[in-house]
Amino acid sequence: MTENVNENTEAKIVAMQREQGPLLEVKDLQVDFTTDDKRAVHAVRDASFSVYPGQWVAIVGESGSGKSTSAMAVLGLLPGTGHIVGGSIKLEGQEIAGFKPKEFDKLRGSKMGLVPQDPMSNLNPVYRIGTQVKEALKANGMDVSHEKRSALAKALAGDEVAVKGNDDETFIGSAQLPALLEDAKSALTAIGVSGEKFDNVMQYFKDEWVPGSETRWRVADDLIKAGVSDDKAWEIAKKHVTGSTMEDRIAGLLSEAGLPDAATRARQYPHEFSGGMRQRALIAIGLACRPDLLIADEPTSALDVTVQKKILDHLHMLTDSLGTAVLFITHDLGLAAERAQHIVVMYKGQVVESGPSLEVLQHPQHPYTKRLVAAAPSLASQRIISAKERGEDADALLEHQVKGEATLEKSEHIITVDHLTKEFKLPRKKEMFKAVDDVSFSVKRGTTLAIVGESGSGKSTVANMVLKLLEPTSGTVTYEGKDISSFKGKELLDFRRHVQPVFQNPYGSLDPMYSIYRSIEEPLRIHKIGDKKSRAKRVRELLDMVEMPESVMTRYPNELSGGQRQRIAIARAMALDPDVIICDEAVSALDVLVQDQVLRLLNDLQAEKGLSYLFITHDLAVVRQIADEVVVMQHGRLVEHATTDEVFDHPKMQYTRDLLDAIPGGKLQLGLD
Amino acid sequence: MSDNTTIHDVAVLPGQERFVAPLDETPLQDVDKVDESAPATSMWADAWRNLRKNPLFIISGILIIFIIFVALFPSVLTKTDPNYCNLDNSLGDPEAGHPFGFDFQGCDVFARTVYGTRTSLSVGLLSTILVVIIGTLIGAVAGFCGGWIDAVLSRLNDIFYAIPMLLGAIVVLQMFKTSTSIWKIVLVLALFGWVSTARIARGAVLEAKNLEFNTASTALGSTPMRNLFRHIIPNSLAPIIVIGTTSLGSYIVSEATLSFLGVGLPTTTVSWGGDISNAQTNLMTNPMVLFYPSVALAVTVLSFIMMGDAVKDALDPKSRTA
Repeated sequence: MTENVNENTEAKIVAMQREQGPLLEVKDLQVDFTTDDKRAVHAVRDASFSVYPGQWVAIVGESGSGKSTSAMAVLGLLPGTGHIVGGSIKLEGQEIAGFKPKEFDKLRGSKMGLVPQDPMSNLNPVYRIGTQVKEALKANGMDVSHEKRSALAKALAGDEVAVKGNDDETFIGSAQLPALLEDAKSALTAIGVSGEKFDNVMQYFKDEWVPGSETRWRVADDLIKAGVSDDKAWEIAKKHVTGSTMEDRIAGLLSEAGLPDAATRARQYPHEFSGGMRQRALIAIGLACRPDLLIADEPTSALDVTVQKKILDHLHMLTDSLGTAVLFITHDLGLAAERAQHIVVMYKGQVVESGPSLEVLQHPQHPYTKRLVAAAPSLASQRIISAKERGEDADALLEHQVKGEATLEKSEHIITVDHLTKEFKLPRKKEMFKAVDDVSFSVKRGTTLAIVGESGSGKSTVANMVLKLLEPTSGTVTYEGKDISSFKGKELLDFRRHVQPVFQNPYGSLDPMYSIYRSIEEPLRIHKIGDKKSRAKRVRELLDMVEMPESVMTRYPNELSGGQRQRIAIARAMALDPDVIICDEAVSALDVLVQDQVLRLLNDLQAEKGLSYLFITHDLAVVRQIADEVVVMQHGRLVEHATTDEVFDHPKMQYTRDLLDAIPGGKLQLGLD
Repeated sequence: MSDNTTIHDVAVLPGQERFVAPLDETPLQDVDKVDESAPATSMWADAWRNLRKNPLFIISGILIIFIIFVALFPSVLTKTDPNYCNLDNSLGDPEAGHPFGFDFQGCDVFARTVYGTRTSLSVGLLSTILVVIIGTLIGAVAGFCGGWIDAVLSRLNDIFYAIPMLLGAIVVLQMFKTSTSIWKIVLVLALFGWVSTARIARGAVLEAKNLEFNTASTALGSTPMRNLFRHIIPNSLAPIIVIGTTSLGSYIVSEATLSFLGVGLPTTTVSWGGDISNAQTNLMTNPMVLFYPSVALAVTVLSFIMMGDAVKDALDPKSRTA
């Protein structure tokens, strides 16, 4: 942020916000859901918060905290049995809490926009992207040839240029663009611009003047800044900027949202888009009718961090220029603090703390906020210290140190991956796709090696090959010095016993038909260990190890939360006393607090049992908490391999630096007391 | 952000002052605490709880229990021998001990209706069991193995699907006209009935096969066959049970139809289909002779179809229309 330049503007914005009053004011909001047996569940209790024009406000909380429900209540989109039972919601001073669905229809789109959470399911797969943008424009009767700017944006823009009447908000049309550029060229030549400067200015014009997005006064402004006289500039702008067609506007909106080559993209279908591109299309739709308030419900949770950063940077720029206020729902405190001026922390349906972002982050007062700040991986600066190391018990400490040194001396590699390559045959394509390309690394006994990369980097493929669930195309994986590809029968069973996985999806990796007892007992049964009685005893021990009560034995996975299932999965993996645990995105699906809890558990188990971990994750922030060494992968190749400290303090590759930059809130100063 | 801008000097706007909720309002809980108060449930326990409250299930359940009772102990309801026919009583009106009257051959209609239950029910149950076993095995193998095995089994399935069940059954049964066993009907119905069950089983297995717990199990050391029987088939059972219960009624109808057409059971075996067939000649003069076996057939089929619907609701709550 360029603070100095914008200081004046910022002061002006605040003055305007103060004058206009809050755009959205939620007071003592209560939302109830009715269950099947007619009981009322209080999803939101006495929540109050407000959003000023042009402001980013974040609601932070774990799943089930009522953050999304509050936002949906504002939009009049409460699902099923949910209804507002108390409090008020004021939009521009008007009470909307009691509005009927029809009245909400009028508000949505034009006054309030939504960017939903899941980009995969929120676009209709049978319509072209452009058609879906058009639908939003048409449903609200938008004028596609003129920009609609908020009062705030108008006032700010007025600083730089005098906007003369509404016509100056006319968009460039694609049909008129060539002539406009031609005239701009001759105007530049006329005032004697030439050479490299001329090329640069023309290139700037070509980049900036997007049909259906740039307006007349901006064109004039650009020309004036390039040195063209006021009168001439306005003459050119008035002559050629005469309004855009629907197609231009759609392309303009999509390109504003950051889609390159928008006109072509508009004719494509959702399945041809990546997750990030779909989210951009949804942002374009959410902003299509220039709402004063945009509600973004975890808009980037499903995306890679680097993509998340790009999209949010862009959204920030866009809403700033349009003067749109954003109510940003997220579970990530670091992200919230980085993006929003004001933070509202929700817990169990109530607002427990709110205030200016940095203040809340640096001086959290409510114990829940304190807990969140302490757990946020993006804000943590070092490896979790295991219970044993923390332990007041001097013996334990000593023992650990001795063991640690011994391990270091041995410095034995328990798993070595050597020139590993995996190729897949793609449907309808001749050439093979290299998912993993010549990757080598080794895991030292008793330590954690993390593989970091974005989706599609091949990191999970590596994990599956190490687990011998996939056969490599070439290269070898050795466990305790033996090539695992030769393992068969008893040897394979033995390998399976010592190398255990914990998978990403705690909902999928436990059989829903198996009770927790049966799930944990399964590996013992497969390996024919003990009799019924001793197995029951072992299951109890394992449950205790993962800090779960014995009573869960008779329960089924569907009754447990994601974090609890993941702990059960860890207990199952520990059942056979393995040497190596391979965690494939094991904590990615969990809320921060739960994630923190599981990471600590893994860490304590490592210290206690001398386990080695291969930890696959897309989240560098988590890596810092748990890993000793890091391997960074991109497009199937290994791009960097170093100790965790080295990677964080002196990243060698640009890609690693990008990943580090993308950690939300990574640069925020913390003053935890 | 640099250090000199800590705690922004930007003035706080009204309504956005620092707020901290009093602690006693939302006391902190342990992170991710297990809710031990709720009763333990599994898919089957859930389904049972759901079924217990479903009036459709209660009514059909009572009817089915009654039907099974009649089939097992017909002599409790009537002391008359259904095959004792006296032409003197031909088309006689109801009288004491013979509440439904007599048919053309002079047999007691009530006794024949009661004894017919056993035939219909056995054919329905046995066909369903056979169909579920054959269908599930073929479907599961096709879905699990994939590749050419799936291709061959699926084409075989298509071929059988192309043959209308009734037509096929008539042709096959013509060859066994002399047999008096109900097994010929059961086998024929199973021969043409496994197709839809196999399709559903294949789909369910394909879906269950790709779930992560199979990979998890493999990594624990489990073999593919163990996965199939311990994880995949149990997880595919729900839709198979649903189609089994709903089609039970249709097998009973098919048996009646085949007997009605004269290719099913011989006249010496008491069955509703045969009785309905015999009664049609006197439909104009004595409609009641046709009425009683028809009602028995309708009530039985309806009970099983209702039961199937209730089970479907319980096992797959998403399919509920409400």
